[in-house]
Amino acid sequence: MISIRAEHLGLTYRLRQKLTLAPRDNRVPTGGHIDGGRRARFVTALDDVNFSLEAGDRLGLVGTNGAGKTTLLKVLYGIYEPTKGHAVIEGRVDALFNINLGFRREATGRRNIMLRGLINGWSQAEIEKRMDEIIEFSELGDFIDIPFKAYSQGMAARLAFSVATSLEPEILLMDEWIGAGDPNFQDKAKKRMNELAEKAGIIVLASHNHALLKRTCNKILELEKGRVKAFQPAEEWFGRKAEKEVS
Amino acid sequence: MGRTISAAIDDILTGLRMRRVWIALASEDIGDQHRRTALGPLWLLLNYLIYVGTFVLIFGLNSTEHNFPAYVSIGMLVWLFLQEVVILGVTLFNREESFLQGTTLPLSVYVLRLTMQSLIRTGYAALGCLAILLITGTMPTTIWLWSLLGIVQIILTIPAAIIVCAVAGAFFPDLQFIVSNLMRVGMFLTPIFWVHAGNDIRGKLYHWNPFTHFIETVRLPITEGQVPVHSFVICLFIAAALWVAAIFLLGKFRKQIVFVL
Repeated sequence: MISIRAEHLGLTYRLRQKLTLAPRDNRVPTGGHIDGGRRARFVTALDDVNFSLEAGDRLGLVGTNGAGKTTLLKVLYGIYEPTKGHAVIEGRVDALFNINLGFRREATGRRNIMLRGLINGWSQAEIEKRMDEIIEFSELGDFIDIPFKAYSQGMAARLAFSVATSLEPEILLMDEWIGAGDPNFQDKAKKRMNELAEKAGIIVLASHNHALLKRTCNKILELEKGRVKAFQPAEEWFGRKAEKEVS
Repeated sequence: MGRTISAAIDDILTGLRMRRVWIALASEDIGDQHRRTALGPLWLLLNYLIYVGTFVLIFGLNSTEHNFPAYVSIGMLVWLFLQEVVILGVTLFNREESFLQGTTLPLSVYVLRLTMQSLIRTGYAALGCLAILLITGTMPTTIWLWSLLGIVQIILTIPAAIIVCAVAGAFFPDLQFIVSNLMRVGMFLTPIFWVHAGNDIRGKLYHWNPFTHFIETVRLPITEGQVPVHSFVICLFIAAALWVAAIFLLGKFRKQIVFVL
């Protein structure tokens, strides 16, 4: 049974003061909240996050910059290990973060599909079987055989989306991918996401695009400074928001 | 402690199983470095021959070593390999930030990829080394099998060394400059193009420099027809110590690396 269950999820990490004589870099991440004194500072990126999703759920993650949306996605994907609580995930997960992450700039699109497939643990036969379908869906045509670095943002996003969704992940995590790609492709992408959700998968989508979330999601999780501000059906959340705007 | 160790072992075993990933990425790396060049990776061979040729020409005349070209070419081959993995190892995780932030590959995949990549590069140089040996009349004998064992021992030690360097380098970015300086000096402190005789400073360096022993396990069987048992044992201890450190560091800091980059 495909599901995601987050229980008291917390992520705190220490801002390391590097051993260096060079002038200190005093930038801090925009996320969460920062505690501690001058010597050791801690960033709490997620704090006591609880929610659970079942097959067929499409969750929209909302919140201001630095509310913890990307961090939560990365915890669910397994890149970050939570420091408190735990996330129980049943199902094969794939993720689409920043489109430049995990692609090789010098390699062609075709070669990148191949590498991506290997990294995701597909067999050679599976990669070959999917190759044509991925290329077709991405609509890259002859561009598939030129290096990735020559792609526009939109083309890169198409390739990333096509690869990530081609092996029918049971759980798909996405971070703001929709900004790129023309309306035509966005429609195609939306259709594929709906198919995925209909096959009783789970989609988690972080975005500032409320129109998109309204169309795609059935649940909304609102984060604020790493804490859950609201977790409710999408209709309720948008309804409440509309009320606020009226008053 | 048990969990630390099992996490590290798990990481390494998963990494080994994903060999198609690191082999593909490593050959991609080699291709990238020589993209749009006429000679491609043959530059690696040419670089090596020019380097060794210069040393033979400049230092060969006053050397007491009876087959100086063979001595230098083997010493240099091993040294360049060790130097490369140590220097690149320190910056490994910093260079791979995009993959570390975007995929859940075990860290050992990056380590094995660097090992593989350096092995391919050294392979090209090894062709040059073999050619020098044959031209200078050093013919293969069965005792060369000990050199092969020395090479295997080095290859089995390298991933541990890379893990130690890479974790340290991720937490202390200054290390990359310290290490590249040390390695530059290290070439002169290691018996690559000088021969030790007696108990002077060279003699002391010969015995106390760990790199000496890795070089000698490969070189002595070929140049002198001897089996360097002493060096083999020392290398075995170094390898064991590095693996203990590597497993501890990998298990303990595996999930923190991504936060310090």
